[in-house]
Amino acid sequence: MSAGVPREVALDAWRARRPASPTTAPLDRDALVRRFHPDHDANAMVTLRVGSAAGARCPAELAALLQAGSPVRDVDIAGAPHRETDVLVIGGGGAGCVAALEAARAGARVLVASKLRLGDGNTVMAEGGIQAAVGEDDSLQRHFEDTVRAGRFAADRVLAAALVSDGPAAIRWLIGEGMSFDVEPGTHRMGGRLRRARVGGASAARLLSLRDQTGLEMMRVLREAVRLQPGVEALDGHPALELLTDARGACAGAVLFDRERRRLALVHAGATIVATGGAGRLHLRGFPTSNHYGATADGLALAYRLGAALRELDSFQYHPTGLAAPAGLAGLLVSEAARAAGARLVNGCGERFVDELAPRDVVAAAILRELEEGRGVATRDGALGVFLDTPSLEAETPGVLRDRLVTLCHLADRAGVDPAREPLLVRPTLHYQNGGVAIDPTGRTSVSRLFACGEVAGGIHGRNRLMGNALLELVAFGRRAGVAAAHEARAPRSGPIGVAHLSDWQRAMIAAGLPLDACSPQLFPSYGNFDLAAALTEGVA
Amino acid sequence: MSREGDEPDARGARVRLRFEGQELEARTDASLVQAWLDAGLPLVENVGCMGQGVCGACRVLVRREGEHAPGESVQTALACETRCEHGMEVTFVDPISARRPRPYDLRALGDSWTAFDRIPEIFPEAPHCRHCGGCDRACPKGIEVERMVGLASVGRAFDAAPLFDECVMCNLCIAACPEHIDPAHLGQLVRRLVASLALRPADLMARLREIEAGTQTVDVEAEIPEEAP
Repeated sequence: MSAGVPREVALDAWRARRPASPTTAPLDRDALVRRFHPDHDANAMVTLRVGSAAGARCPAELAALLQAGSPVRDVDIAGAPHRETDVLVIGGGGAGCVAALEAARAGARVLVASKLRLGDGNTVMAEGGIQAAVGEDDSLQRHFEDTVRAGRFAADRVLAAALVSDGPAAIRWLIGEGMSFDVEPGTHRMGGRLRRARVGGASAARLLSLRDQTGLEMMRVLREAVRLQPGVEALDGHPALELLTDARGACAGAVLFDRERRRLALVHAGATIVATGGAGRLHLRGFPTSNHYGATADGLALAYRLGAALRELDSFQYHPTGLAAPAGLAGLLVSEAARAAGARLVNGCGERFVDELAPRDVVAAAILRELEEGRGVATRDGALGVFLDTPSLEAETPGVLRDRLVTLCHLADRAGVDPAREPLLVRPTLHYQNGGVAIDPTGRTSVSRLFACGEVAGGIHGRNRLMGNALLELVAFGRRAGVAAAHEARAPRSGPIGVAHLSDWQRAMIAAGLPLDACSPQLFPSYGNFDLAAALTEGVA
Repeated sequence: MSREGDEPDARGARVRLRFEGQELEARTDASLVQAWLDAGLPLVENVGCMGQGVCGACRVLVRREGEHAPGESVQTALACETRCEHGMEVTFVDPISARRPRPYDLRALGDSWTAFDRIPEIFPEAPHCRHCGGCDRACPKGIEVERMVGLASVGRAFDAAPLFDECVMCNLCIAACPEHIDPAHLGQLVRRLVASLALRPADLMARLREIEAGTQTVDVEAEIPEEAP
């Protein structure tokens, strides 16, 4: 990447030309994305050599976790305490909570194991909203077509249809759990209309929200519902290290790490739901991320070792506007709402360079082009970004920052910037894993008795996700997986239960010439200063 | 030793603070969470959204320099939202649980004539608030917790609920309450009641009726144009 324009010089250029005129440079969107979007960086991809996705392209950082050994050996689990449950849910974010609730209501005993605490995950951080086709001018079919089109026609159409068909019922279900939504100003909560916004790539206004805190509201409600749901037990501080199998190779639970006691804990389950979320904290290609601290692709690694099919592993969403500075806040999201309200993107020369409301992959690629070609804005600490021109927006629409962009102002304040006077420095941030574990409409994976839902699952969004479809996905498929897993759990099991699948895995790794000393899941970001091997040894000693 | 440490630069001055008993050096533009990680210390709990301030996981007790005199209280805060200052003393606060679960089934509270009477039954300590202000001082989001408790305990759920818009369920108010009122969970009860009893959007209900009647379906095989209509 090139050095860029020093911030003081760039600020002068911005002042001299504000408000900047629309860009007139011709833009071949496909060529731009192919050349500058990180998914298309051939140097960052490797070809998988073992497992169900052998031959597929995958970012090197993720491949290192998929093609890795297990931290658990046969001898380690021999003496470990174990317990029984009908349904084990791995991951206590939005999808895990929904699945746990529905499995328990279908009559199952449920254990939800969280790496951190129940409710910790990307869901609580979602600002935008949830899509559901409720408008008179809208339909399930339109939502379906928008979803498939936004995903570049790579989505599994049956899954996309299931997603959108569940939309209105998912909103009703959430209200039933006690979640609020904004209503259209001037209408009533009883018999009124839901406030709807139109997002990039949508053919109708379909985004429902509670201010810019939709995820926070959703997670508060789901966590409270799970806490009070009879039949559900939440186990905090228990990351999964390996899945268990029975004599027929079906999933039979998991090996958890009891962090406080520093020892292994086995859970035997009739059905297991992986709901571990995304992978942003792998910082692919060194990108900052908007993701939660725990987003380290744990579920992908576990499911892959058990032979589950994965898909679109090379496709990630980079949100165009993460904070570029200061270092401690880098990667945090500046919501798309700012651009939707009219804020422009300006490079180090004071020029606009893209239609700010183009699809996310296009805007992200355009920003990366500016940075790469030396037109970025460089701070003295080496941060590089482009300006989000909030001062001109405020000048044109006085009060817009305070009234509509509350979270942005809060963030700017912590970054030490007055957004009414100074533009924010932004750059693309790793935001969402488009692909994941392949599922059917009930959340079943290709491995018997193993389910997946939420961001870890793949096929619903194809190669690009529509804003607002992530929150819908976790409700729609969390409910589907929860119910299906509760039924599956009643089928008779075939013992003995253990980690027999690991010997096949090790043979395959050796045959492919891959080292067995590196282990996954990673559990925490590399800068989390956590050494699982040491923690396990210490616990045993 | 000078108060501000060495020369300030773009990243702020370099300062020294004590975090969980360890001496750390940090920049004033860094959050407490960042300072902890930069010092190479392991972080596997009391962490979550890393700066957005919405998950409530990184609760800390903070004493600022010069606040050692009697009456100078220790403050509660979120470590991801608090910047480093010279002479700070900081400790993490482990997750806080209520003493009792206070079970209720939201779907059984469907009668709006009686639902609000149930609030003091589920939270019997709520009417006993002694107005000590401990919950208000503990809240890192500046919520009027005590006012919410007062409104909720007399059934004014619609006035109480919006006061908890910014709650991140850090549960510091639970730890602060000498009457064991559990304000965080009481806040959730009134919020959930307000939504589940009295949010009935006509457009949503109309669409649900259409789906049930089979007049809203999806054609999975449809030819989808490359560009949106």
